Amino acid sequence: MCAAKAGTAGAVRTSMTKARAAAAGGLKRAGSRADPLGPNSEIGRKLKQYYDDLVSEAVPDKFQDLLRQLEDREQPVAVPASGSDRE
Amino acid sequence: MDDRSTFKQDLLGAIPSLRAFAMSLAQNADKADDLVQETLVKAWDKQASFQPGTNLKAWVFTILRNEFYSQMRKRGREVQDSDGALTARVAVHPGQHGAMDLGDFRAALEKLPEDQREAIILIGASGFSYEEAAEICGCAVGTIKSRVSRARSRLQEILGVSGEADYGPDAISSQVMGSNAA
Repeated sequence: MCAAKAGTAGAVRTSMTKARAAAAGGLKRAGSRADPLGPNSEIGRKLKQYYDDLVSEAVPDKFQDLLRQLEDREQPVAVPASGSDRE
Repeated sequence: MDDRSTFKQDLLGAIPSLRAFAMSLAQNADKADDLVQETLVKAWDKQASFQPGTNLKAWVFTILRNEFYSQMRKRGREVQDSDGALTARVAVHPGQHGAMDLGDFRAALEKLPEDQREAIILIGASGFSYEEAAEICGCAVGTIKSRVSRARSRLQEILGVSGEADYGPDAISSQVMGSNAA
């Protein structure tokens, strides 16, 4: 059991590198080989629909404001954001 | 200086996904946005520990996830465990066959234990690999596979969807046996 676990951990590290490389290449779908949550699966489709709906929600301004504040906090010299227009 | 503004831009770019993941975990818009805010602050403070060139999205997802569980613990809420008693009360109407509606799906998703829900979201919706999801959740790849597999069966069960012919339970679970306990 323990040996199996250690083996897994090693494998994680190796495949993590591969995963990074794949991610850098713009990999969209994980584990596309025999993907049980792929487009042929109704659960998979619904899952993506559910999530994509959430992702495509408009981001409230407060998050941008927050990041701006965080940036200003550390860079008092920074030019106060070129577009100070706040709708 | 450029690094910093790149980092900021990347964080900004990650917000939609972060919010979606937060919603999936917290199931509540206010809590989700609080989580995202907290995550952004933490990410900013930890900026030095982020290695440019690695996956920023995975990095911020990890922060958000940790924040979620630590808030839950602070609130004294027991983290749901897949093997817990929850399964017993999950028995909902299966919708009409083939006419699963998004609301039904959302309701079914809410009924999953957190660990299964996050796993299936990371793998099936956020586009992470099993390896990345394992890193985000701090567990073994096999554990993620097993959670995804259980989440999927659970959803099928709740929603009354029969598993499509192209995936039997064996496709995943056979690789999983043994590394389940982590």
